[in-house]
Amino acid sequence: MVLKKELMNKKQNNHAWREKLTNILAQFANYLLILIIALVIGALVMYLSGRDPISAYGALWEGAFGNGYRFADTLDRSTIMILAGIAGSIAFRTNIINLGLEGQLYIGAFTAAWVGFTFTNLPSIVHIPLCIIAGILGGALWTLPVLYLKLRWKIPELVPTLMLNYIAIRLTDYLIAFPFRDPTAPMAGSPLVAASARLPKLIKGSTINIGFIIAIVLIFISYWFIFKTKVGYEMRMVGLNQDFAAAAGLPVKKSIILAMLMSGGIIGLGGALMILGFFGRFLGGFSSGYGWDGFMIAIVAQNHPFAVFPAALFFGALANGALTMQSVTGVPQAVVAMVKGTLVLFVTVKIFLENIRKGLKKWVM
Amino acid sequence: MVEALSVKNITKTFPGVVANDNVSLSIEKGTIRAIVGENGAGKTTLMNIIYGLYHPDSGQIFIDRQEVTFLSPRDAIAKGIGMVHQHFKLVPSYTLAQNIALGVEPRKGILINETALNNNVQEIAQKYGFNINEKEVTANVSVGEQQRAEILKALYRGVEILVLDEPTAVLTDIETKELFVMLRNLVKQGITILFISHKLREVVEISDDISVMRAGKLVGTVKRSATNERQLAEMMVGRETIGGRIRKQSQKGQLVMDIKDLSVCDNRDLKAVNNVSLDLYCGEIVGGAGVDGNGQEEFVEALLGLRDISTGKIRIDGQEVQDLSTRKIRESGVAYIPSDRYRSGVAIDASIWENMVPGEYYVKPYSNGLSLVMPEIIQMSDNLIKKFNVSTPGIEIKTGNLSGGNIQRVIAARELGLEKAKVVIASQPTRGIDIAGTEAIRQMLVDYANRGAAVLVISADLDEILALSDRIVVFYEGLVIDAGYYDKDIRQRVGWLMTSGKDHGVEEGTHEQKAK
Repeated sequence: MVLKKELMNKKQNNHAWREKLTNILAQFANYLLILIIALVIGALVMYLSGRDPISAYGALWEGAFGNGYRFADTLDRSTIMILAGIAGSIAFRTNIINLGLEGQLYIGAFTAAWVGFTFTNLPSIVHIPLCIIAGILGGALWTLPVLYLKLRWKIPELVPTLMLNYIAIRLTDYLIAFPFRDPTAPMAGSPLVAASARLPKLIKGSTINIGFIIAIVLIFISYWFIFKTKVGYEMRMVGLNQDFAAAAGLPVKKSIILAMLMSGGIIGLGGALMILGFFGRFLGGFSSGYGWDGFMIAIVAQNHPFAVFPAALFFGALANGALTMQSVTGVPQAVVAMVKGTLVLFVTVKIFLENIRKGLKKWVM
Repeated sequence: MVEALSVKNITKTFPGVVANDNVSLSIEKGTIRAIVGENGAGKTTLMNIIYGLYHPDSGQIFIDRQEVTFLSPRDAIAKGIGMVHQHFKLVPSYTLAQNIALGVEPRKGILINETALNNNVQEIAQKYGFNINEKEVTANVSVGEQQRAEILKALYRGVEILVLDEPTAVLTDIETKELFVMLRNLVKQGITILFISHKLREVVEISDDISVMRAGKLVGTVKRSATNERQLAEMMVGRETIGGRIRKQSQKGQLVMDIKDLSVCDNRDLKAVNNVSLDLYCGEIVGGAGVDGNGQEEFVEALLGLRDISTGKIRIDGQEVQDLSTRKIRESGVAYIPSDRYRSGVAIDASIWENMVPGEYYVKPYSNGLSLVMPEIIQMSDNLIKKFNVSTPGIEIKTGNLSGGNIQRVIAARELGLEKAKVVIASQPTRGIDIAGTEAIRQMLVDYANRGAAVLVISADLDEILALSDRIVVFYEGLVIDAGYYDKDIRQRVGWLMTSGKDHGVEEGTHEQKAK
């Protein structure tokens, strides 16, 4: 009797496991198809405008993965994409539409840079963590006005987060133009951070540094956090159905606050890593829309940390490869933006179609 | 008799429900016909069929003895049928005249002729004796005047049969009186009126004939002069001996939850619960009857700490809880089965186990302080879905894939399964679920009361209340009126309280004097 029960349990588990696997495979095939469609549409546009798509994509590939150094540079570029994607995912999981990643990135980058160039006689082991903490705090605290408006006055976060982007960018522009201006900088920028605050490189000849390792570790931590912890459970339930969460007694406000702070903090960390690892100083307009990339990556990855990695790598490769593509074949970088846009569009349509199918099923039942 | 409108053998089914079952009606021209019945009796469905919003599965509609088929309200309006919905469909920033003539404005070239528009509206208002300031912006006028505009909107389109869906629900007493005077005027000019309501006092005051519906069927039609409110109430709630009562005997114990002078506002900041006191005792099932929208939702949400209260105290075992968080209130022993299971009962995109643990995930042994202890959670969820017969291939399945009845079992399992609750608040616990599921959920509530918990069942379904309750209270316009313990006369008492808020002994016969 007991044996039979155990056997049944095993069967059930087996069944669930197999279902999970087929699900993952189906998803993978789906994404592959969407990716191909996006690339084909990009190729079509190139072809119609008289360019050779094959050589363009060839150059793109060459630029992104052509040799070990380029591959390492692509990984370095995907560091910020990973962090931005996770920052977006955590907010979206809690049903917070954080459109302010870009602004939080600037603030986090600046606060990290400030700690980096203000303190000059600290050992690296202290200085780097301090800068990173400053970056996290900068990004996180920049969301406080939004939280206040949302929780006190029930103002949706959509517009305030968006508007704070402009304030953040202009504010940092001001800070490096006046109080913290470095006249020796090639472009408008802050002073260089102290050598003790620079992130150690992983390979000579590439920009890749320990920031990449931090990003990879963060993927695993955020997976564990979202799916395995108490607080992650609360945040997911609040995101899936806030009325349910409230009625069940979950701490809705706490979840919203935490998710917003974490989202801002993680993208702030990304800003810190870029400054300490790549630029060495805060530069005006240093981000080429990484916050928005994070938004798209989170959508493509459907807010799953493990899926963020391939999506971020792809976005990183497009960003790095596009430079080579433009200089070698003359096909403008804008083609890459189009491929990204098409990808996001098709993924959203896929999610949309799934929802419709679900809705129909319920309606028919 | 000149017949204005008739329907023959109308049947309309929705998935799982027969909303109209072979309904036939004939309405005389120039009269007011009231259609009364409890919520879900099929009144509104019938009106929507007459107005062309729904298409009947079978049956015919005749206007002036000609058979008609409506594909949309446009067809119905073309044949002279207009409807005023309970919730007005007016553009707030337009003037009343602009709203009244919306879509059929007099034109001057490609522009709207505002002067002619205002004149036309004024003319028609005068013709039917409506007092209206047609140039005023809609957002600035009273609800009563907006309703007049809605009626004029129909009349402007040459409507001769007017359907009013609970027209008095939004009006003050004075506005109601004014409306009735206007309706009388309309009838004198040959307009035929269908009037849906469940307020019997008003129905008896204004109608010529009254048709009663119950559970999708037409119970009968009576002349106003030949009936009274009591008879109508009996027709509405039915007189059949109460079958399916599953509550056998209560063992009333000590007081668990006492609610004193509770007042709560709704989302528009209007008082929805007015100075309500209610005591819940161990082992007793209290049924909260009443038509939806009489303060039930706000009352329940206040008990759970989901809605701020204006005044009053709520005590559990003598401890005041009205200022505590929902979690603290639940920890002090309150289980909650919400009325809308999809909105606040479960997260349909979460797995079953995730919907099982919101009350436990943060304490030992289900959590070690930081992370979830999955083996414990899985074991608990597995045990509960077996105990409560949730039919599912596993607890990793998305909850939204289950049927409504099974989702309700998931909720019941979560709320009752660990037997922590001392008070169970169940709001519409079986709404929209199949018979087997309904019986199972009701039995769970009875069993739970037998184990010594206080149970409050709130339901618009009177049969459900009568099947379960030891004691019944009625929600009526924000009040909670005691209808007493279960006995053989309770159905009529409750039915009466539900529709008029008064005990029938007081009110009986008085409408005759009022009419004079």
